[in-house]
Amino acid sequence: MGIKLSIEHLSKSFGGKPVLEDISFAVNDGEFLSILGASGCGKTTLLRILIGIEGFDGGTIYKDGKNISSAHPSDRGMGIVFQNYALFPNMTVLQNVMYALKFDPARREHARDIALDIIEKVGLGEQLNKKPHKLSGGQQQRVAIARTLALSPDIVLFDEPMSALDAANRLTLRREIKDIQSKFGITMIYVTHDQEEAFSMSERIMVMEGGKILQLDTPKEVYHHPANDFVHNFVTVHLEEKIRSIQESTGV
Amino acid sequence: MAKSRVFSKSVKFLLIAFFAVTVFLPLAAMFSKVKLSAIGGILKNPQFGKTVLNSLSVTLAATVASVLIAYLLALAVNRSRIPCKRLITVLATLPMLIPSISHGLGLTNLFGYNGLFTKLLGVESGLYGFTGILLGSILYSFPVAFLMLSDAMQYVDATPYEAAEVLGVPPVNRFFTVTMYYMKRPLVSAVFAVFTMVFTDYGVPLAVGGRFMTLPVYLYTEVIGLLNFSKGAFIGFILLLPAVITFLLDLRKKESEGLGFATKRLHIKKNRLRDTLLGVFCALVIGFVLLVIGSFAVMTFLTKYPYDLTFTWSHIQTVFSRGMGGYFRNSLIISLPVAAIGTAVGYITAYTTARTKNALVAKVLHLTAIASLAIPGIVLGLGYVICFSDSFLKGTLLILVFVNIIHFFSSPYMMAHNAMKKLNPNFEDVGKTLGIGRVRLLWDVFVPCTLDTIAEMFGYFFVNSMITISAVAFLYSSQTMPLSLMINQMESSMMFEAAAFTSLVILLSNVVAKGIISLVKSYCKRQYAK
Repeated sequence: MGIKLSIEHLSKSFGGKPVLEDISFAVNDGEFLSILGASGCGKTTLLRILIGIEGFDGGTIYKDGKNISSAHPSDRGMGIVFQNYALFPNMTVLQNVMYALKFDPARREHARDIALDIIEKVGLGEQLNKKPHKLSGGQQQRVAIARTLALSPDIVLFDEPMSALDAANRLTLRREIKDIQSKFGITMIYVTHDQEEAFSMSERIMVMEGGKILQLDTPKEVYHHPANDFVHNFVTVHLEEKIRSIQESTGV
Repeated sequence: MAKSRVFSKSVKFLLIAFFAVTVFLPLAAMFSKVKLSAIGGILKNPQFGKTVLNSLSVTLAATVASVLIAYLLALAVNRSRIPCKRLITVLATLPMLIPSISHGLGLTNLFGYNGLFTKLLGVESGLYGFTGILLGSILYSFPVAFLMLSDAMQYVDATPYEAAEVLGVPPVNRFFTVTMYYMKRPLVSAVFAVFTMVFTDYGVPLAVGGRFMTLPVYLYTEVIGLLNFSKGAFIGFILLLPAVITFLLDLRKKESEGLGFATKRLHIKKNRLRDTLLGVFCALVIGFVLLVIGSFAVMTFLTKYPYDLTFTWSHIQTVFSRGMGGYFRNSLIISLPVAAIGTAVGYITAYTTARTKNALVAKVLHLTAIASLAIPGIVLGLGYVICFSDSFLKGTLLILVFVNIIHFFSSPYMMAHNAMKKLNPNFEDVGKTLGIGRVRLLWDVFVPCTLDTIAEMFGYFFVNSMITISAVAFLYSSQTMPLSLMINQMESSMMFEAAAFTSLVILLSNVVAKGIISLVKSYCKRQYAK
């Protein structure tokens, strides 16, 4: 398993206020990495910098060993699923997924077939001609994923995609995202503020606070050996309290 | 990346250049005409102080009455269980489809020396002067306030009302604590909008003002009649003042906007008394509106009201023999391009200001776009005539098109701006990651998602260009005169029947235009809901 993405000494500030301070980490090929932190910790900014829709002040981003720091977002071989999905409301499921393919000379001819195939794979074959507002939150998310996958990226980024969904939906969708990952064999970087979500889905978790990485390790390690008091409180104590409260109320 | 940057920069540059030439240059030209010596002369004249007082008194009275009527109508449409609310809205806004001078004309038909009611009751006409201007200005301005207030009431959240009821807050206190919290801003906006409209209108006072001189009529006669531009410019400056104050107040308010949309619709309880009272009120207001408009038909088809009540086509023939066909064509040749170009420019400006993050240029453009609201048509027209009188634009249809675009720019611009603010803020980012340019996205996503707004913008530009007599009054030539100004001419030569028919034609064109727009909008809605 090689290194897919490597970030070195990344820094960024907004109006003199540092948001990311000297961030360095690497993501393995095919890995599911969660970036976990409270709001304002810099995790979303980091994601936007990785895909290239936000500039940065210093540092380098390598993908497959190549420096992509100044590449155009659409030339990075990455996709992103936004918090609110940002599906095009005037287009059907098929049109949403096909749209970008029509502007790609290499894939223009097979746009429809490629889109149909992906829509089938994410389980939306029945909804082809529906518009986004006729779909459930979970289905909308799958369209958003399909739309990014259509351009066959090898990394997909997620910006808190579950925050608009109810608890029951979240559980199924976590599984679905993992299914899609194994089906397409892609690397996923998943930004969230939800400890449970990060722990149930990830191979590794990166805990962030105040624009810095506090810990980057497997869920087990983060839980049992938190790097400092903050991680201990934010992760271990939080999860234990949750477990205890469920035990107390259900007697399980 | 570099290519699209250059493109968006040049669009912004073009827009700024456009506004510099069409807004700032004419205003600067007007101000440069204000001479201190002339100001002294004007101020010393005792007639001038009287004119200012006249203007203020009648405008204040009309504003209070208009907003009160508008508020009650808005209550009827949004807070009662009376039937036919849609019809009430349509009928109550009919006065927006005719020129301001036509309202004066309608009142003359009803209450003038030979008016229907004057003859019926056998009394002397007390219309001309303060009363006439007051009534005409109310007719002219209450629909605008009504739409503003009704729109605001629609989006009031029901939860605070329910909470107040549960807590046992008495209705009077509920009104001051809950209702006023939501309606304060819309009310202030409506008051300022009506004040500015009435304060700067010359159409109504020209028709029914008699010897009661107001500032806009003073400016109109000084400039049109005496070609006294420096005097006109100073009066123009005074007319600009309330609008500028409004604009500055509005600016402060916009910064902290954000009442959002209703989370819960208000449940309207059964209340016979309330519904009866509001229903009667609606009937009275609409009855009056229909009387005024109906009087145009009576005047058009009767030989000589009230002396000869036989049916005739002769008035229509007179109007046609005076070149109505050509003036009507002028009106269309002006209004359609105003609607098309205005909508396009407004839409692109709105896209630039609503979808660009933290750029200084975007803010400047936004301010300029809403500032055009603060410039009364009569002042804008004066600026244009001073600024472009020596240019190739003089006496062309093109200058009429441009002055109207700027005069009516602000409202449609805001429609587009608000519609685009409501669209997902991540579309451009999605576009970037998918390799789709901004222009492509604008065409494929933004335009289809906002088609109903675009139709609404088009309609607004069209209707207002058809009825305007303000800015264009200084800029037309005998070749380019629009239909609305024909009313001015006929009114001044006492051809009331011909003027009535002309008003009727404008009304009908606008009703047709509105009808088409509402069909397009409902088609868009159905398309979208598929």
